[in-house]
Amino acid sequence: MLVDEAKCIGCGNCLDYCPMNAIALEGDVATVDQAECVECSACLRAECCPTNALYRPPLSYPRDLAWFFSDPESTHPTTEIPGRGTEEMKTNEITGRFPMGYAGIAIELGRPGTGTRFREVEKVARAVARFGVEFEPQNPVTALMTDKKAGLLPAELQDLKVLSAIVEFGVELSRVPAILEDLKEIAPSLKTVFSLDLAVRCEEDGSSPVDKMLLPFPLSINGKTNTGLGRAAATGKKQ
Amino acid sequence: MTHTLHRQGTQEDLTHDYTVLAIPARGYNRAGSGEKLQAIKEIFLQHHPVNMGDIKRGNMYNPGLDHVTATTQDGTVVHAVFQDQETLLEVLRDLKEADTGLSIVVSGLFGHVHDTCQKAGIKRHTIEYSLGVHGATGLLPEPPLLEVSTMCGHGMVSFNLIRRMAREIEAGLRTAEDAGHELARQCLCGVFNPSRAADLLNRLVRR
Repeated sequence: MLVDEAKCIGCGNCLDYCPMNAIALEGDVATVDQAECVECSACLRAECCPTNALYRPPLSYPRDLAWFFSDPESTHPTTEIPGRGTEEMKTNEITGRFPMGYAGIAIELGRPGTGTRFREVEKVARAVARFGVEFEPQNPVTALMTDKKAGLLPAELQDLKVLSAIVEFGVELSRVPAILEDLKEIAPSLKTVFSLDLAVRCEEDGSSPVDKMLLPFPLSINGKTNTGLGRAAATGKKQ
Repeated sequence: MTHTLHRQGTQEDLTHDYTVLAIPARGYNRAGSGEKLQAIKEIFLQHHPVNMGDIKRGNMYNPGLDHVTATTQDGTVVHAVFQDQETLLEVLRDLKEADTGLSIVVSGLFGHVHDTCQKAGIKRHTIEYSLGVHGATGLLPEPPLLEVSTMCGHGMVSFNLIRRMAREIEAGLRTAEDAGHELARQCLCGVFNPSRAADLLNRLVRR
């Protein structure tokens, strides 16, 4: 994002709307710190500038990736859904992405509210790759990996900041505790935060297989429930 | 896209916060989904949500309900926020009866949602837990701010804007309700609960 200095009146109204705290007043003009701005468009959508001085210039690689990972209105070509994530458990009754005995783990770096550089994303991806996990193929972080077995990301992206990025993979349920223990070990070495989540297919009676497991992190009292109402249009099939 | 997960708060607070979303599955039922998603928006509206949105059209506070409901594209995701279990039950019953074949996901207290699904004759299929926030947690603000900001999972509601709303309420420049709406404007999808935000902001101001 940039500020048209000829239009800016230096009112400072835009500063508080930036989720990354990347806008500051220098003299009587607002400026955007390009190393901190993640192209999320929050300032534009807020319509907080009385003179429309904020604007997004055309973006090229790798800066355009910041937009894909930060602005929920953008649609990444890998996922074809708006936002930085995937359908994950939301359509599981149709896709069968997480069958019984299997779990989905998502590690969202930079959330809440801190942002992340890709070098932190790679640290986590490399750590979980040691367990031989299968990174979610439709996830935009996976699509960027130069080595999907090792969880490596391109050198030119290491410094790029995004609002958040999700390392996402599926794994046998029995292996979840060991992977979470490892995440607990590496967490203090990170320069950003991550929000952690775990998705599982319910048992036939609707109970959760995770309730019986001993995990290194407490389970939340709230979360997401797929109601199982979806089905494939052509076949009517559910998983 | 875990944008309705990781909402922080106490059991008491979360009793007034249930998000429902509808999403088509790529490669299975996306073609022609716009019409079905439009029907789901109409069901949501009948039950007076405190927020409602379409990721490709914005939310009911920005750019406004008329824009959100005017058209619905194939492949979008639609959301609504309800404040109590009784309304959630009515919404789920209507969605089950409408039988659109699209996936319906509810975010909220697991116990309440499970109980409500059972009353609606729905057997939950898959669940997703938050296992908390870890890493450099020293970068995060105080918990009451996080309870407000995490209602927008895409991170569009800045910590500084929440602080400013609290200051403006304290100074008598805004009501808490108005501040809740201003924060809700930032959350593109319409999953932010402005009513709960107003309560949390009032508590912040009292502190």
